[in-house]
Amino acid sequence: MNSVRHTPVPDQVLQEHDENPVHLTDLVQPHGVVLVLEKSDLTILKVSQNSHDFLGRSPQHLLGQALSVIIESDFIDSIQHCVNQAGDRSHYLHLPIATPDGPAGFDASLHVTDPYIILELEPAHQQTVDELMGTQHSVAQSIATLRSISDLKTFLQAAVEEIQALTGYDRVMIYQFDEQQAGSVVAEIKPEQEVSYLGLRYPATDIPKIVRDFYQQGMVRSVPDLTASLVELVAVQEHEDIGPMDLSRALLRGVDPCCVEYHQNMGVVAFLVIALVRHDTLWGLISCHHPVAKTLPPYIRSACEVLGQLIAAEVTSKVHEDELSYLSKLKSIQSEFVSSIAAAQDFKQALIHPQPRLLDLVKAQGAAVCMDQDVTLIGSTPTLDQVHAVIDWSLTENSGSLFHTDCLSSHYSTAVDFKENGSGVLILTISQLRRYLILWFRPEVIRTVNWAGNPQASIQMIEEDDEQQMVLCPRNSFEKWQETVEATSRPWKDAELENALDLKNAIVGIVLNKADELAQINLALADRNRELDSFAYAASHDLKEPLRGITNFANIIVRRYADTLDEAGVQRLQTLVRLAQRMDLLIDALLKFSRLGQAELNYEQTDLNGLVQNVISVIKTGREGKSPPPQIDIPNALPTVDCDPVLFAEVFSNLINNAVKYTNEPQAVIEIGCYSPEQYGEQHPRDDLPPDFSSPIVYVRDNGIGIRERHFDKIFRLFKRLHERDRYGGGSGVGLTIAQRIIERHGGQIWVKSTYGEGTTFFFTIRYNRFS
Amino acid sequence: MVEHVQMPLLVVEDSDEDFEILQILMEEMNVSRPIYRCKTGDTALELLYQQTTTVETDVPIRPAVILLDLNLPGIDGREVLEQLKQDKQFQSIPIIVFTTSSDPKDIKFCYQKGANGYLIKPVSPEKLEKNVQAFVTYWLEANTSLDWNDVNVMG
Repeated sequence: MNSVRHTPVPDQVLQEHDENPVHLTDLVQPHGVVLVLEKSDLTILKVSQNSHDFLGRSPQHLLGQALSVIIESDFIDSIQHCVNQAGDRSHYLHLPIATPDGPAGFDASLHVTDPYIILELEPAHQQTVDELMGTQHSVAQSIATLRSISDLKTFLQAAVEEIQALTGYDRVMIYQFDEQQAGSVVAEIKPEQEVSYLGLRYPATDIPKIVRDFYQQGMVRSVPDLTASLVELVAVQEHEDIGPMDLSRALLRGVDPCCVEYHQNMGVVAFLVIALVRHDTLWGLISCHHPVAKTLPPYIRSACEVLGQLIAAEVTSKVHEDELSYLSKLKSIQSEFVSSIAAAQDFKQALIHPQPRLLDLVKAQGAAVCMDQDVTLIGSTPTLDQVHAVIDWSLTENSGSLFHTDCLSSHYSTAVDFKENGSGVLILTISQLRRYLILWFRPEVIRTVNWAGNPQASIQMIEEDDEQQMVLCPRNSFEKWQETVEATSRPWKDAELENALDLKNAIVGIVLNKADELAQINLALADRNRELDSFAYAASHDLKEPLRGITNFANIIVRRYADTLDEAGVQRLQTLVRLAQRMDLLIDALLKFSRLGQAELNYEQTDLNGLVQNVISVIKTGREGKSPPPQIDIPNALPTVDCDPVLFAEVFSNLINNAVKYTNEPQAVIEIGCYSPEQYGEQHPRDDLPPDFSSPIVYVRDNGIGIRERHFDKIFRLFKRLHERDRYGGGSGVGLTIAQRIIERHGGQIWVKSTYGEGTTFFFTIRYNRFS
Repeated sequence: MVEHVQMPLLVVEDSDEDFEILQILMEEMNVSRPIYRCKTGDTALELLYQQTTTVETDVPIRPAVILLDLNLPGIDGREVLEQLKQDKQFQSIPIIVFTTSSDPKDIKFCYQKGANGYLIKPVSPEKLEKNVQAFVTYWLEANTSLDWNDVNVMG
C-alpha cells in the first residue's frame, strides 16, 4: 500500500495542460476526406492530402475550385440550405460525388465554423434495409430494457452490455466524474482475460478541461484506428497563412499525440467515447476500447448518440437499492425526531435527549448543539474549545445554512489536531444572528483509493535548457495503484444533508408555531378579559336594579307609612336601606377593580411631589371639621417617575386614607418618602432585592394600629377586611387590592412591614422609565 | 287660536319598580304633565312613528322630553337614541338618558349620539330623589321645549 504525498502541480502547468488547444489542428484521421470551404461561395480553401484516395482528385485539382466541380447543383442547393440554418449543429447527408471513375456515394457531415464550412466525407457504408431495421429494433429494445431497471448498479451494467452489443467493442466502460473532475469506472464489460478497470479512479488531468468541455456539448467521438498516420490539410496558396482550423466538432479530427500515447499505453487501437450529459453537466462518459482497428458506420454512431442521451437522462433517477433501505430508515428517524421536538417544551433538551437520535439523523459519531455561547457536546467530538473555534471559523467563513466536508483540515487547517473525531463535519446554521448551530462530526477513516496507475506518474520532471520543468504526460501503467487518504471521514450523503436541512426547516417551523400558539393564547386571553369586563358590567347593572327597588320601596314605606309603623319598624327599614347601599358600594368596587385590568395606562413623566400634595389636600378637605387633621411629613423630595398620574393618585389616596383611618391615636402621623435600593438594603438587610434592581422604593409610614405579620398577605385580597365592618370608618376592603393592581400594572411591587400596635409601612417600587 | 295642550313626557323604562318610584317622586313634585310610558325600545319607536303615519287623534301627541333607560329588552336604549337623533322629525326632542350604568363608555357614546343629558339612577334613595328633582326642575319646568303646535302652524 502506498501513502502518497501529492506533489503539488503548479497552477500554470495545470492550466496549460487544461487549455492545450487540441482542437486547433490541421491533422485529420485518414479514413475520410476533409474539405474546408469558403462560407459565402463554397470555394475549396483547404483539403486533406488524402483526397485522391477517395475522390480521385489530388488537392491541387481541388483547391481554389468551386465545390460544384465535384457535386451536382441539386446537392449544392441542399448544402446551401444546411449552411443557412446550421447554427451550431452538424448536418448529416448522403452525397454523390463525381470522381474520374464515375459517381461515388459518400456519407457527409457538415458544420459551420465561421467563416468556414467544414465538410467531411467518408465512403458511404452500404447498409441494407435489414441492417437499418435491425439496429432500430435493437435500440428500441435497449431503451425499453434500460428504462425498466430501477437499481443504479444493474442499470449501469445493462447500459455497458447494450452498448457493447450495439457496437461490438471489446471493452465498454462507464466512467463517472466526481466533484473534483476525477473519474472512476462504475461499470465495465470486458473480455475475461483482460485486467479489470472497474472501481479504479482516474485523476482529473487524464481528460483535460478543454476536452471535457467538448464532451459537454454531447459529442460522440469515434477513432477507428489510433495507429493510422494522420494526414494534413493543405491550403490554396493565398490561404496558407490562415493557420490551423478549429476542428473541435469535426468527426475526423486528428487525435492528440498525448491521447494516442495514453490509449496505446492501455493497449487500445480503436476507441469510441459517448458523452453522458444531463442539464448541461458532464455526468460521465461511456468509453469503448478495442485492441484492433474498428470502423463504425454512421447509423451505429447515431444509435450510440441516442442511447447515450437516454442513459444520461435516466441515470439520475436510478437509485442504489441497498441504499434505499438506509434512506427510508433516515426518513423515519427524521420524522420521529421532528414530531418529538415539536411536542417538546424545552427545545434543546429535545434535541439532545435521547442522545443517539441526533447522531443517527445524519449518521454521525458526534454532535454539538450551540445556542449562543452555550455549547452541548454529544458523542465523540473535538474538545469544547476546539468546537468553539470551529463555530467561530464557520460563522465568519461560511455563508448559507449548510456546510459539509469530509476533510475539514483542507478548509480549516487547525482541524488536523482533532482529525480522530472531527475529520468530517456538517454544520447547520439555524440562526447566524443568534448563534444557533448544530454541528455533526465524523471521525477520520483511513481509506484506500484505487487509482488507475499512480496519478503522480503523470507528472514528470524533464531537463530543458538546464532547467527542471514539470510536465504532465500519459502514464504507462494503469494497473491498480493504491493510495491511503488521511484526515478524511466517510463522505456525507445527499440524503443525510437533506435530513439536516429538513431539521432546520422543522425547527424554524416549530419556532414559528410556538410564536403562533402564544399569539393565539394572547388572543384568547384578551377575549376572556373582554368577557369578564362585560360580565362585570352586566352583573353590576342587573344587581343594582333590584337593589335600587329595595332601597326606594323601603324609603317610600318609611315616608308614607311612618304613622302605622313603630320606631323599631322604621329603624329596621333604615337598616335594610343601609345594607342595600353597602352592597351597592361593593358592586361599585368590583366594577372599578375589573375596569382597572382593562384600561390603557396613560403614562406621563410625573413629579410625585405635586401629585402627593394634591392627594393630601383632597383628603384634608374631606375631613374638615373632624378632630385634628393628620400630620403628613415628606422629609425628602420624591422622584419624578413614568406612570399614569390618575391611577397613582389613587394609590397614594388609598394608602394615606388607610393611614388616617386605622389609628387609635388622636392625631395620625404619616411619613411619605423614597429610598434608593442601597438605602433600602441597609435598613432591611434580610430582604432579597434582585441584584440588578435599580428602581426607587416609595414608602408610606404611619403610627397607626399596625398589622400582625400573619395578615400581611391577606390585606391585599379583594373585599378582605381585618376589622368589624363599621370600625375605623368602614370601607369596602378593596383599596389595597386596587393599589396593588395599579402598581403591578406599572411593573412594580407592593409589600408591607408592620409592628402591631406601633405602626405600618407600605413599600412599593416604581420605575423612572417604563422601558428600562 | 289653538288651545295649548301641555306636551307629555315619554318615559322608556322596562322596570315596573323603577317606574313606580319615578311616578311617586314626580307626583310628590307636583308634575302635572301627562306621562307616557313604553316598556321596550320597540314600543317607543312604534308609538312615535305610528303617530306620524296614522291620524287617529286630531292633535298628534309629541313628547316634550324623552327619559330613556339604556338597558331595555329588544332594541335597547342606545339604538333608540341613535335612531331618533338621526331622524330629522325627532332630533329636536330632548332625550335624557336615565340609567344604572356609570360606565364611561356609555356616557361617551350617549353624548356623541346627541343625548341632551345623562342621569345615573343611584341606589341611594336620597340621591335618586335629588336626581329626579333636578330633572323635573330643569327639563319639565325651566327648560323650553319646541312646541309642535307652533311648528304645525308655521308649516
